Amino acid sequence: MKVLPTTCPACSSQLNVKSLICEQCQTEIQGQYELPLLARLPTDDEDFVLEFIKASGSLKEMAKLLGLSYPTVRNRLDEIIERIKLTEKDGNEGKEKKL
Amino acid sequence: MTEDTANSNRLILWLFNPFRFVAGFHALLIGLAIILISGLIGSFSNTHFDGLLDVHTGAAKPLWFFLAEGLIDWMCMTVLLIIFGFIISRSSFRIIDVIGTQALARWPYLITALAMLPNANRRVLEYILSKVTQAAPAVTINPADVFVFGFAMILLLLMTIWMVALMYRAYAVSCNIKGARAVVTFIVSVILAEALSLLLIRAFLVSL
Repeated sequence: MKVLPTTCPACSSQLNVKSLICEQCQTEIQGQYELPLLARLPTDDEDFVLEFIKASGSLKEMAKLLGLSYPTVRNRLDEIIERIKLTEKDGNEGKEKKL
Repeated sequence: MTEDTANSNRLILWLFNPFRFVAGFHALLIGLAIILISGLIGSFSNTHFDGLLDVHTGAAKPLWFFLAEGLIDWMCMTVLLIIFGFIISRSSFRIIDVIGTQALARWPYLITALAMLPNANRRVLEYILSKVTQAAPAVTINPADVFVFGFAMILLLLMTIWMVALMYRAYAVSCNIKGARAVVTFIVSVILAEALSLLLIRAFLVSL
């Protein structure tokens, strides 16, 4: 499956969803929908978050799973937290500009 | 990426940043064993690790003296890095990771201890000392001795650089500190730990 693009290739702004389609009956919905926060993260980060949830939020378990040390996994999580905060901030600033 | 490239990348990571894969209690066990074995090997050639980055051939001492030197060097650096970690790290970190990774980072000094084993080093050092003090040389040296000594000194220099690089990586990974703040606090820690370890070894061990 193709990787979902989240940023504009021309100006690097956040992309929104314009249309959604039901694969069953081909009903198409058009509008302006914001991508959920997790979907806006890079694929690697998204995969990490999913694995982290599956490991019941245990960094020790994640470290075992990925074959990495505990601080390396914790640092990776800290980076993702920072990225989420930044994405949230950018999203809020974008909304304020529109208003 | 081919399997060979992936394996060589992993080997490079293990050599220059093993803390990506091992930290905490495991690193502590391996590191502690390395520090004690280095002290033991050092005792065979009277090689003292009498300061964070110091390696000197000196007086014969009981085995515990050599072991204690290594432990003091490691603890001085670790305590300082934990303090700096608490002051400047924005992440929460585990003390066991700092202690363990700093112990493991000292593994190049195991190679140094081995490089200092040949008697040729002692003979060349005694010869140099007699020349400096202008006393009659008590030992004679041959070209092979000079070659072994030169090799040991180059190895010592390389291992010291490697160990410092590993200590920095250990600090950066275990406390999650990057950039200028990491470099500056690390350099300050090295200077302070060097002074502190020298002081403690001289004050507590040499006076015993």
